[in-house]
Amino acid sequence: MAFLIFSILFIGLLYAHFSVAHMAWSRTRGKNSQELDMDYVRLEDYFGQSFRRKLGKWLTAPSAENSTGELRVVDHGVEKLYVASEAVQYPSNRRERNVLVTEKDFDCGADCSFEKELMVHGNGVVGAGSKMQAIAADGTLRLNQNVVVRRWVDAKGPLELMDGCKVFSRVCSASSIYLGPKTEVLSVYAPEVFTESRVATMAGPLVNPRDVVLIPHAANMGNRVFHGYNPNLLFSMGGGSYLYNGDLNLTAPLHIRSPLVVKGNIKALGASMIEADLKATGSIEIGEMSLIKGNLIAEKNMEIGAGSFFQSVLHAGGEMRLKHGVRGLGDVPVVAFAGGTLIVESNVVVRGKLASGEKVTAVSAPLAWLKNSGDQ
Amino acid sequence: MGFIILTARILVAISMLVLTLYAVRHYWFAFTRLRMRRPKDTMELVGFVMPTVTVLVPMHNEEKVAADILQALVENDYDQSKLHIIPINDRSDDGTAKIIDEFAARHSIIKPFHRTGGQGGKPAALVEVTRGIQSDILLMFDADYVPGKGMLKMLVAPFADPEIGAVMGRVVPYNVGDSLLSGLLSLERAAGYQSAQQSRYNLGFTAQFGGTVGGVRRTALEAVGGWNPQSLTEDTDLTFAMLLNGWRTAYLNRAECYEEVPQTWSVRRRQLMRWVMGHTACLHDYWPDIVNAKFLTVREKVECFFLLGMYWTAPWLVIGWIASLVLFFTIEAHYVPILAIAMTLLGYQLFSNQSNFVEIGSALLLDGNKRRVLLMPLNLLNFFANIGATCHALLQFYSTRLFGGNGASWYKTHRTRAAGSGSGGSFGLNSPKEKEVED
Repeated sequence: MAFLIFSILFIGLLYAHFSVAHMAWSRTRGKNSQELDMDYVRLEDYFGQSFRRKLGKWLTAPSAENSTGELRVVDHGVEKLYVASEAVQYPSNRRERNVLVTEKDFDCGADCSFEKELMVHGNGVVGAGSKMQAIAADGTLRLNQNVVVRRWVDAKGPLELMDGCKVFSRVCSASSIYLGPKTEVLSVYAPEVFTESRVATMAGPLVNPRDVVLIPHAANMGNRVFHGYNPNLLFSMGGGSYLYNGDLNLTAPLHIRSPLVVKGNIKALGASMIEADLKATGSIEIGEMSLIKGNLIAEKNMEIGAGSFFQSVLHAGGEMRLKHGVRGLGDVPVVAFAGGTLIVESNVVVRGKLASGEKVTAVSAPLAWLKNSGDQ
Repeated sequence: MGFIILTARILVAISMLVLTLYAVRHYWFAFTRLRMRRPKDTMELVGFVMPTVTVLVPMHNEEKVAADILQALVENDYDQSKLHIIPINDRSDDGTAKIIDEFAARHSIIKPFHRTGGQGGKPAALVEVTRGIQSDILLMFDADYVPGKGMLKMLVAPFADPEIGAVMGRVVPYNVGDSLLSGLLSLERAAGYQSAQQSRYNLGFTAQFGGTVGGVRRTALEAVGGWNPQSLTEDTDLTFAMLLNGWRTAYLNRAECYEEVPQTWSVRRRQLMRWVMGHTACLHDYWPDIVNAKFLTVREKVECFFLLGMYWTAPWLVIGWIASLVLFFTIEAHYVPILAIAMTLLGYQLFSNQSNFVEIGSALLLDGNKRRVLLMPLNLLNFFANIGATCHALLQFYSTRLFGGNGASWYKTHRTRAAGSGSGGSFGLNSPKEKEVED
């Protein structure tokens, strides 16, 4: 009897074990994967483009009965779209629960709240302390102090994020973006991104000083340690690339001409010249007025000294700091990405993108720099 | 009798140790992936890193699929002034050459390479074609793959890092519903890429180059002497050749590409046997260099051995079972149930191509394929099939090594897609499926 009960229980459990799987297979059979979007391409201004496209479709719907000459109302599911044919001005503390489209300029007072997206076909100004879902503008756009945008911001004209603004996703402009002090965004992309106290002309980086550490070193240097560089730790990876097996803490500027991987940290004094790709498995600290032509990759933190120029990719797994006066100017758009926070000091200009896994934040330059900098 | 019991006990102990270590490793990967706040990738660099690129597509009798991949490649969004596409017609005797030439006539970026003789197999074809290439990066796709429009930009982005010698994207089975096997293999692929590869990469280990949906830096390839035409798994061989020279392989989970997985057990068996033999050959070729590697930490060296020795879990499981059976018929029988059950459980945790339940579950969860998790009990079939194929392959490998012989040769995995959908984007979605035919 016990054996019989055991057998029934065992068979029951076995059946339960496989029957669910069999049912799952029956549902899957004959259906192929639809997981991938084969048309996916990464676009920096994807959110703005996508919203404009969707809005175009929504607006083809017939107007609601309560539309007037200046304000067209379109029912879109549970929400409404308000389309204003004239310029719109909202007073302070106004709360808008629907999608708003203005055919001309838009201006709102302080502490307004927009629960849905806002599309401005003219120029836009958002009052200080306002809270928004997302905003797209065809003209210029200015977000005054402490505006919070839960999603994205997109402008075709110049875009200004004044002090303390926060945007939790991407910020894009087809023209330029100004990041005021204490602004926080996830990423910014524009032909030109700049921070406060911008100086139109910057002195070029100091290059080719007399006392530099050249890697790979000249054959006549021998194996002596020179300003913290130990030639015995340099190995060829083949293909013209080199590997330095240890920290590279230099007491002189660094000059590299071939791709270099450093198994450790890199610290180089100002006026360094990085002519090829450079990677550190630790952190990288490059001194002021350096010229970085190659890609710079750090698995941990990165700091680019004041007044330095970079011309391609900066990528840090941890935090990154672009100090006062750094310029990211290349023949093609450049990018600086930090897995942690990306701190951008004043008078930084980047033609391309600043992005972070956490936040990009603009800070005012330390006072000492402002006093000492000759070009202020 | 005492000697037999002692031997059986030792073998059971070793078997349990090996399986436990691998089980722990895979739990580690699974939980690492689940806890991962930010998968390591270079998506923010996409479009900002634009080196010169040559795309290689080895084709041997690929008339069913050749048009799809070529169409997809010419439609991609990479800067065409920096792009060449080389379809390698490797001694095809079907309509592959004609399809390639028609595309080349319409698109100047396509530079066909027709091979009419020489050693067979993909590695040999790659050796021949890469000799004259000057592009910075070589990307590779198997002929049955169809890259999306943004794929090339994604794959080259990790090369901004001078330490990266190769990059590996993710393959996603398309034909999941065509047979039970393809459905089960989709679980295995999900775990292998979404969980194991991503975890290994985030943990600081080199990813494994897979030979397709990936690419290599030309200078790194030249630095290690190019492809190994003798290898059955030239991708694994290249991964370790590069690693030992200081070059690493990056993994890019977002660079996803459809593939066709085997639909019949016989095709799957041959594919797995090739992998096992190629992989194990790498273990034998590279173990002294790994031990002596200057640039690898102890942790990295240990992981290299785990990776290269992974197919050894199957014979150790079988050895453990046999030893348990021997003990069962001796006076030690009272120990046996616990050992056998423990070993079965541990082995079951490592079914299929080295993935365990938690890895598969976590990968499917992250992919948003929760329903497919329910297929897991049926993976028992895959488990036994893989043990058989793996043990067979290892026996063949070692018998060839010890007693000589031809060993295994390279062979092409069979395609099942209907010919001429003509649009890479469609991936033959509206095409009828053909019955898979063995040749």
